[in-house]
Amino acid sequence: MNSMAGMGNTTQPPVPTVIDRPAQASAKLTEKVLVRNLSFYYGSNKALKAVNVPLYDRKVTAFIGPSGCGKSTLLRILNRIYDLYPNQRAEGEVLLDGKNILNPGQDLNLLRARIGMVFQKPTPFPMSIHENIAFGVRLFENLPRAEIEERVQSALRRAAIWDEVKDKLHANGLSLSGGQQQRLCIARTIAVKPEVILLDEPCSALDPISTAKIEELIDELKDDYTIAIVTHNMQQAARVSDYTAFMYLGELVEFDNTSKMFTTPADRRTQDYITGRFG
Amino acid sequence: MDLYARRRFRNRIVLGLSICATGIGLGWLVLILGTLVYQGLSGLSLAVFTEMTPPPGSDGGLLNPIVGSLMLTVLAIAIGTPIGIMAGTYMAEYGKYAKLTMVVRFINDILLSAPSIVVGLFIYEILVAPMGHFSGWAGAVALAVIVIPVVVRTTEDMLSLVPTELREAATALGMPRFHVIGHVSYRAARAGIITGVLLAVARISGETAPLLFTALNNQFFSADLNGPISSLPVVIFQFALSPYADWQKLAWIGALIITFAVLALSITARALTASRKSS
Amino acid sequence: MHEPGGQKVVDLALSGGVEASSAISRTKILGRLRLSDHLFRHVTRAAAVLVLVILSGVIVALIQGSLPALQAFGFDFLTEERWNPVTEKFGAFAPIYGTLVTSFIAMLIAVPLGLLISLFLTELCPLWLRRPIGIAIELLAGIPSIIYGIWGLFVFAPFLQRTMQPFLIDLFGNVPVLSSLFEGPPYGIGMLTAGLILAIMVLPFVTSISRDVFEAVPPVLKEAAYGVGCTTWEVVRHVVLPYARVGVIGGIMLGLGRALGETMAVTFVIGNAHKVSASILAPGTTISATIANEFTEAVGDLYTSALIALGLILFIITFIVLAAARLMLMRIERRIG
Repeated sequence: MNSMAGMGNTTQPPVPTVIDRPAQASAKLTEKVLVRNLSFYYGSNKALKAVNVPLYDRKVTAFIGPSGCGKSTLLRILNRIYDLYPNQRAEGEVLLDGKNILNPGQDLNLLRARIGMVFQKPTPFPMSIHENIAFGVRLFENLPRAEIEERVQSALRRAAIWDEVKDKLHANGLSLSGGQQQRLCIARTIAVKPEVILLDEPCSALDPISTAKIEELIDELKDDYTIAIVTHNMQQAARVSDYTAFMYLGELVEFDNTSKMFTTPADRRTQDYITGRFG
Repeated sequence: MDLYARRRFRNRIVLGLSICATGIGLGWLVLILGTLVYQGLSGLSLAVFTEMTPPPGSDGGLLNPIVGSLMLTVLAIAIGTPIGIMAGTYMAEYGKYAKLTMVVRFINDILLSAPSIVVGLFIYEILVAPMGHFSGWAGAVALAVIVIPVVVRTTEDMLSLVPTELREAATALGMPRFHVIGHVSYRAARAGIITGVLLAVARISGETAPLLFTALNNQFFSADLNGPISSLPVVIFQFALSPYADWQKLAWIGALIITFAVLALSITARALTASRKSS
Repeated sequence: MHEPGGQKVVDLALSGGVEASSAISRTKILGRLRLSDHLFRHVTRAAAVLVLVILSGVIVALIQGSLPALQAFGFDFLTEERWNPVTEKFGAFAPIYGTLVTSFIAMLIAVPLGLLISLFLTELCPLWLRRPIGIAIELLAGIPSIIYGIWGLFVFAPFLQRTMQPFLIDLFGNVPVLSSLFEGPPYGIGMLTAGLILAIMVLPFVTSISRDVFEAVPPVLKEAAYGVGCTTWEVVRHVVLPYARVGVIGGIMLGLGRALGETMAVTFVIGNAHKVSASILAPGTTISATIANEFTEAVGDLYTSALIALGLILFIITFIVLAAARLMLMRIERRIG
């Protein structure tokens, strides 16, 4: 992984840099997902240009950048949800535990069971709250009723919404507030037992209180899941993530430990974005 | 008259004309419905529903045409609805961006407004002539050919209204395509699709031309689909054009029954769409 | 956060138990589901193709059935007025003429009426009345055509015979050219009556499409015109209609397609005479009326084939009109949506 090696240095590198984080981290850092030389095209329009970035296991990686920089595009490649649409194609490699998921032979449904996604707009299914969760579980496992109940409960607890819905599990999912719906969607994603969770601007449609609850949730979830979050809110990135990737015009400009990125960014463009010179 | 006064005058004339036009349009409706009620209601009795069509000069009812119409309608819906829903599903889901879909949509819209007598001729050529005799089956198939474009159109329209985010969320859970369609899209579009079926029923309830040379008519009560079978519209056609007063009376009664069945269906369908929009 | 359920999830995730056991069973389950997915995809695709098959089937069946007649008469079929089952000489001129004339009369009346009603609904009508009136007009479209037929025969035709037709005959009796248009005894039934009934049937189509297109005009455009001091009529004439022109024409052509193919309403009141007359008060026939009236009694292959040939001609005419209408409406839909 030659694009990964390299020591942090003080001179301004002319090319996007991925800097090794300082050796003070105690746990061993493994790459759960590795993006290698990834380019992406909408028709003939090149939206991502040779991006290289890792997602470390059980860490939260935030993707920030101005509108149109490609951060959502990148996220949507990781679970190959772009496959639903014609005229969109990816080149390069995305390795999940060492295996390339861009391979045409890759089973997409299996992939999406391992890499879950929460979208910007809360999307509860038109079913009861209980069914929203049980539905995904039943898809993959043939479990007796009691176990399904348990899985539903644990997912809802994990998503910090159990207390609010335990008395109305059979109410329609759409009857919840925006913030609750989003937490329901998170519960639904966790219930399928993924390994990676992708969050695409999960709080942008929510009020500050719901946002705070979800950020708290992310902090708890990272003990068990690898998390990637796209956000246009820099403060949120600074609050929740361990690593941050700054993207601009389809390129990965800088990737670093969050605290380092926000205090002493290496690239001029990162600095300008963080200090609000543009964006 | 000065220029301004002339303009105002012209404006008033046109607006006045538009009110008249609306009055005329509504007036026709009232006139037609009123005549129906006036002519048909007086003859409405239990006998109408229990006795067969009589020879001219004696008393009777509309039992065989009513039963015949019901049978043909149910059969036509049973044949046409699954085909229509499947085709609409392909066009809105699997084949959303396919060329085939564009062509089918165009052709379907033409079939939707095509003269129904031509459909009758078509079924005559392919079913009645080879079989050597008229039959209820031929009539039902002719009606099914009219049902299909209606159901295709409404199914495609309703499924297209399901938000893409909902589909993406289900796909992101690892759900195979037909699960997404079955459990999410269909569920969300359910009311609309049912509306489409109701509209199709309303449409074929009053269709006469396609039955004229497929199911023909039967003056006796017959539930045998292999032979000619009676239907309300055809009986009305025959009786109204006859010189016999009691036959003409029965024609009016039959017309009343059909019209109010059709209107009730249309209003139910509309109420379903309205309640969907408000929820 | 650390009670039994949550703990299990945590344990499984940490221990990698998720991957080991359930990954295998998941592959199995997904493998099975993939087959069903394939099947469903092909079934739905086949259903979509079936729509095309139906259309081709109609065309093929009609051509096949008309071949005897077309071979016997050739293109003269279109210009021959005689229709004689006994001598087996058939000509489509009278039905085609009747179809075109009745549809023309229908559009002549339905288009202005429909546009005026749309104008009323979009500009003048108080908001609370809009939906009820709109629904009422659409109910007109829902009434089965045979109802129009018997209403026309028993109510409208006698009325016309008593009042309007004598009036028209007197009015135009001495006018040089027009008198031939309104000549003849007042039968009550005839091409004018059929045209009028068709007008009522077509009216809801023209109205609802025009109304949709009128409503799609961006309010800013209208406001700009009002702001300059235009009257309502002037706004409609100079802003709304030009903007909505393509859609309105599409709606008109859709209505025309309907009028051309309409059978039952016309059959009752057209008089069923295989004659071409200059007077619109005279009885005539249309393609669909001819087929409806004569098909079940047609003896002999040539007779039946001639009727099917009529059906083919009707189908071709309506296909062209409807295809043109759809193309126009597609263009307008692209602009709106």
